[in-house]
Amino acid sequence: MADTLPLKHSVPVRHALAMYWRALAAQVRSIIEYPADLWVMASAGAVWNLLQFAFLAVLFSTVPDVEGWGFHEMLLLSGLLSIAGGANALLFDGAWSTGQMVIKGDIDYRLTRPAPVVLQVGSSHIGLQSFGELLLGFAMFVYGWIGAGLGPAWIPVGLFAIACAAVIQCGLVTALCAVNFWIKSPMSMFAFLMIDLQGGAMKLPLGVFPAAVRVISLFIVPVAFVNVVPVAVIAGHMSAWWLIGTPVTALFAVVLAAGVYRLGLRAYDSAGH
Amino acid sequence: MSHTTAVDRALIVISFKRRLAYKSGWVFGLALGGGAMLISMAMWHNLLGTGSLSGYDWESMRAYLIIGFIAATMVFGASDFTIADRILDGHIAVDMTKPVDFQRARGAEYIGSMISTAPTAAVGVLGAWLLFDPPGPATPVAGVLTAVSFLLLFPLAFGITYLSILVCFWTKRYLGIMWLREALLSFFSGMMIPLAFMPGWLQAVSWALPFPHFTATPAAIYLGQVDVPGALGLIAAEAAWVVGLWFAGRLVFRFAVRKVTVHGG
Repeated sequence: MADTLPLKHSVPVRHALAMYWRALAAQVRSIIEYPADLWVMASAGAVWNLLQFAFLAVLFSTVPDVEGWGFHEMLLLSGLLSIAGGANALLFDGAWSTGQMVIKGDIDYRLTRPAPVVLQVGSSHIGLQSFGELLLGFAMFVYGWIGAGLGPAWIPVGLFAIACAAVIQCGLVTALCAVNFWIKSPMSMFAFLMIDLQGGAMKLPLGVFPAAVRVISLFIVPVAFVNVVPVAVIAGHMSAWWLIGTPVTALFAVVLAAGVYRLGLRAYDSAGH
Repeated sequence: MSHTTAVDRALIVISFKRRLAYKSGWVFGLALGGGAMLISMAMWHNLLGTGSLSGYDWESMRAYLIIGFIAATMVFGASDFTIADRILDGHIAVDMTKPVDFQRARGAEYIGSMISTAPTAAVGVLGAWLLFDPPGPATPVAGVLTAVSFLLLFPLAFGITYLSILVCFWTKRYLGIMWLREALLSFFSGMMIPLAFMPGWLQAVSWALPFPHFTATPAAIYLGQVDVPGALGLIAAEAAWVVGLWFAGRLVFRFAVRKVTVHGG
């Protein structure tokens, strides 16, 4: 397939983004057709976050702090991670279908369309749990923000951190899902592994873990820049210089996702070959 | 051996072999469960140090987390999606024509897939034992009773999973139902945080549900937090949930099956 179809389409960015938003809007219309699924999935996202809140509340009723981090600072960690996960599910959930599409040859007709394949795949699905995740994630973030006594002066930094967190999460998940161009599995194991371990480890301060885990989460698979680094800077646990790493990581994640996807498309040989 | 027992055994073996065919699943399950266990170990080691909290010191917490890992590997590694897919894609219409009880057949398949998680659990426990050297059971009797409570997890996990899967008769997808069930199970079983840390009212709510038998019950027996009559009481409660959930599944299925739609028809 890669030999017969040119991969380099010169598509204006405005056209590509317009296609992306129209595809997402079409997904929203299809969601409304199945209200039971919407409510079950949104409730699942909300309940998961409620239980995270309950976990922290129960833990901090017994301990005063975790590695110097208080209850409200830990809420900021959990909240920002939920927002990043919710944004990924809302804006680029289709990336999870990459493996399935590669096996079934569903990438074929996306290659023939005049729009970037990665955007077409990313906008092919919306994770309904995102509504619950985003709602409760923002609630935890705001509650933690107020409880930690952070002033309005930090709000622009907080909004910037949220935007970067969403981009990093989408980029890293998409890059790891694109590995399925080579390993030919319907399940995106590497991406799933990342979000599962990230969901456990990145809700805790980095100081809890051995040095190797800190190095990996900061510099190898930079998930710490999704929530831990920005929250640590805002809460005064890390120097403000670390904040520079957040947009740099966001840019890296986007380039990585686009690059791995492009390489994957070159390796793509449709179904049955 | 009666005909139905032979069918059960055949379905268990088929499901077991089907799962074993995908060996990458073992590694994946080990990475997921083992990773989660290591994260919890790091957190509790940091919090407990040389002291204790809510009756747990670092020694007992190590054993508790390994018990949680075994339960999570068994329950979260089982093949619930195959049952849900039968309802969602309409295969259930064919199943209804077979001279096999639908619930019993799915139960046999589910238990077969749970048994297939044994290699993952065994390797994980061996690794954890070598790394963390947890204490053994409080007494030999406690060890035996812990094993009994783990054996009851097979039908108990199926009962909860089957009941939740029946919701697929009203929805078009299963993923949200699975997340909801796993979230509730993780929290109320004590996998996320031991129930002893919770306020009294939340502990009461947890123990009124079937979930604590996935971690809190085997851990309490293993660590000697309950005496032999107490352990037998917990096991009896676990067995009662197994029976109750089985009949609840039958009851709900009777109503749910009227909702079956195949490709919109």
